[in-house]
Amino acid sequence: MIKSADVVVIGGGSIGCATAYNLARLGFKNVVVLEKGYICRGSTGRCAAGIRQQWGTEMNCLISRYSIRHFEVMNESLEYDGDVEFRQNGYLMVSYSQKEAAMLKENLKLHEKLGIPVRFLSVDDVKEIVPVINTERIVASTICMEDGQANPFKVTDAYYRAAGRLGVKFYTYTEVTGFKKEGEKITAVVTDKGEIATSAVVNATGPYAKFISAMLGHDLPVEPERHQIVVTEPLDPFLRPLVMNFFHNSYCQQVLNGSVLAGYGNPDEPKGINYDCSWQFIKELAAKIVDQFPVMKEVNIVRQWSGHYGISPDGQPVLGTVPGVEGYYLALGCGKGFMLSPMIGELIAQCVAGQDTTLPIGILNVRRFKKGELIVEPAVV
Amino acid sequence: MRIQNHPILKFEKGRRVIFTFNGAEVEGCEGEPIAAALHAAGIRVLSHSRNYKRPRGFWCAIGNCSSCNMRVNGVPNVRACVEPLLDGMIVETQQGEGAVGSGIDG
Repeated sequence: MIKSADVVVIGGGSIGCATAYNLARLGFKNVVVLEKGYICRGSTGRCAAGIRQQWGTEMNCLISRYSIRHFEVMNESLEYDGDVEFRQNGYLMVSYSQKEAAMLKENLKLHEKLGIPVRFLSVDDVKEIVPVINTERIVASTICMEDGQANPFKVTDAYYRAAGRLGVKFYTYTEVTGFKKEGEKITAVVTDKGEIATSAVVNATGPYAKFISAMLGHDLPVEPERHQIVVTEPLDPFLRPLVMNFFHNSYCQQVLNGSVLAGYGNPDEPKGINYDCSWQFIKELAAKIVDQFPVMKEVNIVRQWSGHYGISPDGQPVLGTVPGVEGYYLALGCGKGFMLSPMIGELIAQCVAGQDTTLPIGILNVRRFKKGELIVEPAVV
Repeated sequence: MRIQNHPILKFEKGRRVIFTFNGAEVEGCEGEPIAAALHAAGIRVLSHSRNYKRPRGFWCAIGNCSSCNMRVNGVPNVRACVEPLLDGMIVETQQGEGAVGSGIDG
């Protein structure tokens, strides 16, 4: 194992690989990525692959807007020998109550201000775009046809390969067990395979971030929360946009091979790492999905899995430096890491290099939780 | 040849019933797996492979392998090897991945 590095990135998911790639592009010669499992083993490889700009806070909107610009040209910009399968099939947000409709209207004002092409749909429009949807209780809906999906494995692979060509070294099955510090300064990362001297560490471990922070004596209020997903057998295309429903707290989307991915957020889910799957989830989810798409009652589920969101107190990412630990950077998407990864990778690399960042990430510094400066994201599932 | 003893399913072989396979009338026994009735009628091709469209026949017989996914009464991806046959069923080989939304009651 290598003895020293300019920057050590912890986490081999989409954010870790994108950050490493951007660091190498900015001229860092000796960048190392540590991953305790395999590339994509964590939240990236377990996510629902959706990419949207229809958020309720300015920073979430902006980071996703810039990320979509990256996704649009990713095969070329990363010289990927394949297809990251970015498809702009849209995100349809559906509400069943006046309260949810008011949130969509509020968000729409923000989207208009930021130039995100979101529009309100009549029930007839909804029926035209998704003929199989049950429009019965729909009060309001919005759509953004720039939103869509990409293949999380291929996106990460594209960054992994591009980073590798620029000299980034990846150590998989290598777990961080501790750090060495001199005063507030990080001097080395300790792993189960040996020690790497470094003065800069990027924490891109998603739901595991607080455990890494704890090793540095930093109390990070980002909690892992399990989310489950089911996938159906492949079907002919029938559901173009991802449909997100704030009443059911669910989403449903058909991916490129024809399978439908669906999940919902369980408000009673206890915090913590848990990879179990439950039959109760399938039962609840099936009811929610069939209510929205009656034809789905014919469809067979073939698999179910679980992964984790890192839940921040305001539903926004946590990016940048950490007060009290010199050389420590957080790169956490907090429940939307995959879709924000292209831009988070760019921003964190700029931050580590001491450059001005393309977007003002100071607002998303971890300090905000101590100061109580929270801007809460309302549109999460 | 007709399946009499299924490895995992117990079924009562009922009266003779008529169903259709791709529009043609076929006779089977009520309650036996659809694929058993097709097999007994000499029908060997139940589906086609995804990429090369090669014929696929009766294989695992326990609802696992997808080799017998068929359209039954308009519902796609029915495992014909474990689905009990009923009088008047409309059984079809499936085109593509299977289309939802054209089931008889949907």
